[in-house]
Amino acid sequence: MKRLGARAGVLLLCGVIAAGPGSGEAQATGYTGSPSLVGPVARGELPLVDARLPENPAMVKLSAQGKLPGRHGGTLRLLMGRTKDVRLMVVYGYARLVGYDESYQIRPDILERIDVVDDKEFTLHLRRGHRWSDGRPFTSEDFRYYWEDTANNPDLSPFGAPNILMVNGKPPTVEIIDDVTVRYRWDAPNPFFLPKLAGTRPLFIYSPAHYLKQFHAKYADARMLAEHVEKAGVRNWAALHNRMDRPYKNNNPDLPSLQPWVNSTRGPSEHFVFVRNSFFHRVDENGLQLPYIDTVVMNIAAGKLIAAKTGAGESDLQARHLSFSDYTFLKKGERRSDNRVHLWQTTKGSHIALYPNMNAEDDAWRKLIRDVRFRRALSMAIDRHELNQVIYYGLATEGNNSVHERSPLYRAEYRKRWAHFDLRAANALLDDMGLTRRDRDGIRQLPDGRAMVVVVETAGEDTEQTDVLELIHDSWLDLGIKLFSKPMQREVFRNRVFAGKTLFAVWGGLENGVPTADMSPRELAPTNQQHLQWPKWGQYFQTKGKTGEAVDMPAPKELLALSNEWVRAPNQKAREAIWHRMLATHADQVYTLGLIAGVPQPVVVNRHLRNVPEKGVYNWEPGAHFGFYRPDTFWFDNAKPIDTQQARR
Amino acid sequence: MLNYLVRRVLVMIPTLLVISALIFVIIQLPEGDYLTTYIAELESQGESVSKEKIAFLRQQYGLDKSLPEQYFTWLFGMFQGDFGYSFEYDLPVSDVVGDRLLLSFVVSFATILFTWVVAFPIGVYSATHQYSWADHGLTFIGFLGLATPNFLLALVLLYIANIYFGTSIGGLMDPQYVAQPMSFGKFVSVLEHLWVPVLVIGTSGTAGMIRRLRANLLDELQKQYVVTGRAKGLPRMRLLVKYPLRMALNPFVADIGNLLPQVISGAAIVSVVLSLPTTGPMMLTALRSQDMYLAGSFLMFLSMLTVVGMFLSDLALAVLDPRIRLQGGTRR
Repeated sequence: MKRLGARAGVLLLCGVIAAGPGSGEAQATGYTGSPSLVGPVARGELPLVDARLPENPAMVKLSAQGKLPGRHGGTLRLLMGRTKDVRLMVVYGYARLVGYDESYQIRPDILERIDVVDDKEFTLHLRRGHRWSDGRPFTSEDFRYYWEDTANNPDLSPFGAPNILMVNGKPPTVEIIDDVTVRYRWDAPNPFFLPKLAGTRPLFIYSPAHYLKQFHAKYADARMLAEHVEKAGVRNWAALHNRMDRPYKNNNPDLPSLQPWVNSTRGPSEHFVFVRNSFFHRVDENGLQLPYIDTVVMNIAAGKLIAAKTGAGESDLQARHLSFSDYTFLKKGERRSDNRVHLWQTTKGSHIALYPNMNAEDDAWRKLIRDVRFRRALSMAIDRHELNQVIYYGLATEGNNSVHERSPLYRAEYRKRWAHFDLRAANALLDDMGLTRRDRDGIRQLPDGRAMVVVVETAGEDTEQTDVLELIHDSWLDLGIKLFSKPMQREVFRNRVFAGKTLFAVWGGLENGVPTADMSPRELAPTNQQHLQWPKWGQYFQTKGKTGEAVDMPAPKELLALSNEWVRAPNQKAREAIWHRMLATHADQVYTLGLIAGVPQPVVVNRHLRNVPEKGVYNWEPGAHFGFYRPDTFWFDNAKPIDTQQARR
Repeated sequence: MLNYLVRRVLVMIPTLLVISALIFVIIQLPEGDYLTTYIAELESQGESVSKEKIAFLRQQYGLDKSLPEQYFTWLFGMFQGDFGYSFEYDLPVSDVVGDRLLLSFVVSFATILFTWVVAFPIGVYSATHQYSWADHGLTFIGFLGLATPNFLLALVLLYIANIYFGTSIGGLMDPQYVAQPMSFGKFVSVLEHLWVPVLVIGTSGTAGMIRRLRANLLDELQKQYVVTGRAKGLPRMRLLVKYPLRMALNPFVADIGNLLPQVISGAAIVSVVLSLPTTGPMMLTALRSQDMYLAGSFLMFLSMLTVVGMFLSDLALAVLDPRIRLQGGTRR
């Protein structure tokens, strides 16, 4: 490549560094690499920063986002609960073909440009000169390899290309136009494509072909490959290839990457070191190649100890394994460490929600649960204000399981409808249903004479849910319904819900509480077995009618129809209208009993770590936890620049 | 005697086979398999996995085969030193366990040493000075050690170590040493961290040991031969060490059988609380996530150590105590 190996520039380069303290290597073009790379560059192990960046790097205008441009250096320490959590560096790194910006709009990131025609034709333009973390070019060949040799290889993907790439059961036409241009085309719109590419767990439609070919039967020398397979102790080459090609799991240090930091530790270990990707494609407005921070160190500790360790200052940026109940402890830790504790918003539709099972096996109960009056009465018999005060110091938002204020689709009525505490109205609703007979303790009786005793099942992972249920127990008793909570092991819990053995389940609310009209409203329709209020309908949808039960109620049927309509909706306005109809139905029909939303997430940040917002949103999808705020732009204001004089000698 | 040894060794084989079958069945008893646990975890985070992908993974991990088939693959693999594949770590079991075994041994041996060094003199002193103030005081402390829940003590000590000595919380060394080869700094760091788990795991064992030694020794001290010895004019110390103490040692030796498996599984709960990089927590998570080959191999290894440990302690007892010896004439 053109500027590669320009050894003559090295001397000049070092001179410049020595002149400007705190700045790294600088070039006539104005790009600056990290001082930590001066040594390797001087030794000729790495090309100059200009040759490491694409011709047109992604320019991040930090000042425009209210952030401060920073400087290179430093080590960021993180704590994680399990070895598997190395994948979170792909989440935090958040380098995607396209990614969400701060207003939840999808923008090109790794891609230079993307041309979309009617959501049917996507032309992806790569950055010319972009390189993998091992310095090899990242080109359309990597896309071709994924599509032809991985996704459509019967050994590697016996079930064909991923579902998300199928529209009406048909795969896209993938054209490789030139070195830097790839086109995906479908006959019908695929509105899921871009959100999936931008996802927290993204779909990788490219893979490092130059590396993976050595494990592919089509390219590799048969004898070498057999040796590899033998050494790894796997069944066949496909299993080996799949094991090597895990960009999300991030457990193969040899796999080239496009993320800001690259794993350098082979597991199992308690201490993972991620080093900067010296070929990363983003630069800041001063021309400094991102990421600012040179190294990320991830220490593995028992999940329960992480709050204690964080409080003692052993992490520089921590939210995982911290919960709201740790807040006071962490706040105390501010005094003896360099940490600051921020409270970020969480955006699940509801922190905790009750799911009445519309597919319950028990006939009498199912009939009740399907009666909207019953669900409304239960919802109105919950004192959400009390919950908020008692358990969350009044810091959370009371109301239904619905979208948040930050979402453009928010309307107050969605959160408030049937969510006010009104025992009289609730009792009247139940009386109206004819549930007037009560036993001696004042518990109402079902039409078949059984007492109305509800067992609410929880996955029992923390005591918070049981505490909440204890409070609900008291107010439901005034309604004439006795509540018991029953914690159980998570798989058992799920299987019981799926089978309809559970009447009421407890789980978190809507995953995405901050949707825009362009995001799929599927979560509101019976499309997934995981929706604990209608598991069998969801299963029916997912298996295309092979198992489960067809939806047999008008309102959910309409939701399903609306969700399908959304896919075909011609423009944003139509999508928005569909969203509002679905949200309104949900609020009115009370399919889930949302309790409390926006329970703050404590985020512990080192005092010297800049550009981490004080008030942020902590969410998985969309959001990628910290990834949304681009940790490659975080920097330490006490980072010592590496002694560049040393490198000169 | 040789006959006896051979017989004992031969009996071990069917015992272990039965144990292996039991282990496999018990691990399979809970609903689902590793993949269901894995999927549940992903989904609780809002990630989703397609049905096809699950079926594919199941096939790649060999979970689609029938249970007997899986069992025999595992069993025959073990004979050849292949303990199977850990799903959770995505590595062969032997690679996963390797590092941790060493640290487990370090912790366990330090604990055993601590227990014996502390319990032995105290036990002897308490017995010989029965109902003295020192006996009462030490007994009181011993009972405290026995009664305090380990994990609570662990948390308290962690806190103290962190606040007053600045030791990093949990683990067996400061984080920066984890990936490094052994050095003086690392050694010191390990020592700094080691005392907490040793103290925590050791307390209840020490207390128990003190009580047992004291009771046994008291029994012996009352006996005729001690009186005779004393009357004969044997020096106090010599008398104590030569006769009653030897008799009182039996429980120590019988304990060896339990010590061996404890080296591996010892104090799993404390290790979890303290986040020690030992095998205990690993076994616990393996069992919970139904990482069956990892869990199975652990349990297998434990049973092997138990069986071998019992054998060894029987042998040692026979050497130590003539009353226990099994020789030609004693067989019925």
